[in-house]
Amino acid sequence: MILLEIHNRIVVETLTAKIKNALEGNKPDTVDITVADFDGVLFHLSNPSEKSKIRVSISLHFYNDLKEHGANELIKREYAGMLTDTEDGYNVSVVFDLENIPSNWEEQVQKAGLLKRNCFASVFEKYFAFQQAGESGKERAVIHYREEETMYVAAQKDRVTVIFSTIFKDDDDVIIGKVFMQEFKEGRRNYQQAPQVLFSHKDPPSELQGTDARTGENIGYITFVLFPRHTAAAVKDNTINLIHTLRDYLHYHIKCSKAYIHTRMRAKTSDFLRVLNRARPEQEKEKKTMSGKTFKMS
Amino acid sequence: MAGRLPAVVIDNGTGYTKMGYAGNTEPQFIIPSAIAVKESASVGNKSISRLGKGVDDLDFFIGDEALNATSYAVKWPIRHGIVDDWDLMERFWEQAIFKYLRSEPEDHYFLLTEPPLNTPENREYTAEIMFESFNVPGLYIAVQAVLALAASWTSRQVGERTLTGTVIDSGDGVTHVIPVAEGYVIGSCIKHIPIAGRDITYFIQQLLREREVGIPPEQSLETAKAIKERFSYVCPDIAKEFAKYDQDPSKWMKRFEGINAVSKQKFGVDVGYERFLGPEIFFHPEFSNPDFTTPISEVVDNVIQQSPIDVRRGLYKNIVLSGGSTMFKDFGRKLQRDVKRVVDARLKISEEISQGRIKPKPIDVQVITHHMQRYAVWFGGSMLASTPEFYQVCHTKADYDEHGPSICRHNPVFGTMS
Amino acid sequence: MDVMSATLKPYLTAIRHTLEAAMCLENFNSQNVERHNKPEVEVKSSKELLLTPVVISRNEKEKVLIEGSINSLRISIAVKQSDEIEKILCHKFMRFMMMRAENFVVLRRKPVEGYDISFLITNFHTEQMFKHKLVDFIIHFMEEIDKEINEMKLAVNSRARLSAEEFLKRF
Repeated sequence: MILLEIHNRIVVETLTAKIKNALEGNKPDTVDITVADFDGVLFHLSNPSEKSKIRVSISLHFYNDLKEHGANELIKREYAGMLTDTEDGYNVSVVFDLENIPSNWEEQVQKAGLLKRNCFASVFEKYFAFQQAGESGKERAVIHYREEETMYVAAQKDRVTVIFSTIFKDDDDVIIGKVFMQEFKEGRRNYQQAPQVLFSHKDPPSELQGTDARTGENIGYITFVLFPRHTAAAVKDNTINLIHTLRDYLHYHIKCSKAYIHTRMRAKTSDFLRVLNRARPEQEKEKKTMSGKTFKMS
Repeated sequence: MAGRLPAVVIDNGTGYTKMGYAGNTEPQFIIPSAIAVKESASVGNKSISRLGKGVDDLDFFIGDEALNATSYAVKWPIRHGIVDDWDLMERFWEQAIFKYLRSEPEDHYFLLTEPPLNTPENREYTAEIMFESFNVPGLYIAVQAVLALAASWTSRQVGERTLTGTVIDSGDGVTHVIPVAEGYVIGSCIKHIPIAGRDITYFIQQLLREREVGIPPEQSLETAKAIKERFSYVCPDIAKEFAKYDQDPSKWMKRFEGINAVSKQKFGVDVGYERFLGPEIFFHPEFSNPDFTTPISEVVDNVIQQSPIDVRRGLYKNIVLSGGSTMFKDFGRKLQRDVKRVVDARLKISEEISQGRIKPKPIDVQVITHHMQRYAVWFGGSMLASTPEFYQVCHTKADYDEHGPSICRHNPVFGTMS
Repeated sequence: MDVMSATLKPYLTAIRHTLEAAMCLENFNSQNVERHNKPEVEVKSSKELLLTPVVISRNEKEKVLIEGSINSLRISIAVKQSDEIEKILCHKFMRFMMMRAENFVVLRRKPVEGYDISFLITNFHTEQMFKHKLVDFIIHFMEEIDKEINEMKLAVNSRARLSAEEFLKRF
């Protein structure tokens, strides 16, 4: 797996199993599952009142940030007809009625799996629209998408700038992370259609100078400059799919690299051991005959 | 942040991996512990050729996707409960975390399981992977049998929660009887029984083969398995049970309907004595295995008799079932009765020998049956990992960075106080 | 690069000869604790049991410290680390090996200060193992470790490039 999936597998698989079960005419059973997703997102699948209804709720601790940028409206548009009263402690709730399963249930289930992506999408859609309309000078959107990590989105006439700040929890990760970010910056040479990527380590880029953007040894900033060819209506969904997973994608690959290094080290360590063991004289093994007697080779 | 998000609980078994988030009653994924990797045809050093080029090492599948993948080699990194291939295990976890659970491992504490008698080195290797590759903030490695004990707490009062007991863990391949005293496995007394789910299925298959002709041969195993899962139960006395069936067959015989996978035609199977004969091989192993003839109740009794004398009463009092093959109706009841018989007979003999001068205090034998039996180990982990205490006993990344992997050799027992 | 590899051979040859000479160990009972035998190079209980330590260096960063004594020999290696990524890879690798010191018998669990990895060879080792093969092992280790760290670095780089490209080409 190179790219991360964008839907939540547990949500999709659980709903699919329950709906198939209902379609086969079996009785519904109680559901109460709480699961997490990347970026501190929580999903809760439960029965709001009776067993025949399954409610899927999502909680994003940065939903208030997104709400300022039209998350509510986007959710209303995308999940028309599925929305239900929002569960306490969550931000969005949709419901499935097992006694009244629509023919396009598979599509709806997929949509439920994309709740996180769609919440994220609102801020991008808003700023993409600004840029497409040629507006600029709007205030920069600030989304605290993880506890210590922030995303900034700003629109100009000819571009949308998305800046991620990210923290490397492990000191060694900073160095591996720098190699990765450097390659993101250079990777564009081969892919002209890709957005321009810049990165800075320790200090925020010049756009964020004078804001409360953090500085520090283990902080990195990645800037994506999206051009109209990325923000146009036809391609904007693809752009959003990619860009909202960037942070997790980066950290996933850093971890995979470390797993790969482990594999190499295991191989090399056993190679070294083999060479060292050559220094041991071959031990005379006691050999046994069929009847179990032992004898010494002379 | 880490304290707020649920912990991740992964129970890696030889056959299946159960994983999910703490606080739930069932694991979110139950997948085969299999990994499908591309294998280069070139001969030579295996470990070197495995390295591949670029990001080739990301081209693999786990679980059911692995079994369905074509032109990949399917491997099983766990053998007899113990990790056998760490390279593959690391990648298995990688995909389990990022593709299935979709958790950023930096944000979640992790609870992993190990079989009894796992080596401390293996715990270090696990810690090395979890802390160094995945940057988990905290890790706890729990013994499966202890989690199974904890899982049985759902069926009892808070005051009675104990980590002393005998765990009977029966999955598909093998059955273990594991005595646990105050959260520590008494390793020298563990016994294995070569009879488990698969053997019951084979036995039923054999019974059906002798009588039923309508079953397509290539479907006979799955038919036997379905019959086992749907109709089997444990009876108190086989002779009486036979008589019951003969008197009123219509009441006891069941009918199984299947569909031929090729011709799509229906076939029916009469299900008779195999309903109770299948699980009976736990109690009469000689039915199916001529080399092993000790009934499960005797094995349990032997295990407890070998354990230290001061914990024996506790072990008899809390015999806990875990795993899918202990799910047969009345399994616990019959086991309890049989163990009780053995124990009472022994007490009676000692009373006779003393010519009535000693009156031994009766031994309380209890077999605990509960709702969470099937995934007892995972459920026990899920329950413990959602207590505040869990976060106190976990080894943290800060500890690891300071002291190294050796801290994970020991994982303190916890949970009895709650 | 040519200059570098030209200096590698004499460097390793010098180490080989020094090791062969230093490998001359004998059983020696501790002078402080009765019926104990302690590696003198570690406990340093008496000056006259120690040989003068030898440092062989190829350049500022790559060097080997060979400390001999009557019954034990300590070899500490400073591995080439030309940039920060090589530094962390070296650090990770050495820690990985030292965690498995049990299997390596002659590997010290901690390196001597100022070096990345240390080996401790006692007279018991030389009695049970071939001395020349032990020397071969040290030389093999030194040849391979640079190569391996370099390859790991290249691998990390190419992974980084590939994963960046995989992401960017989808725009």
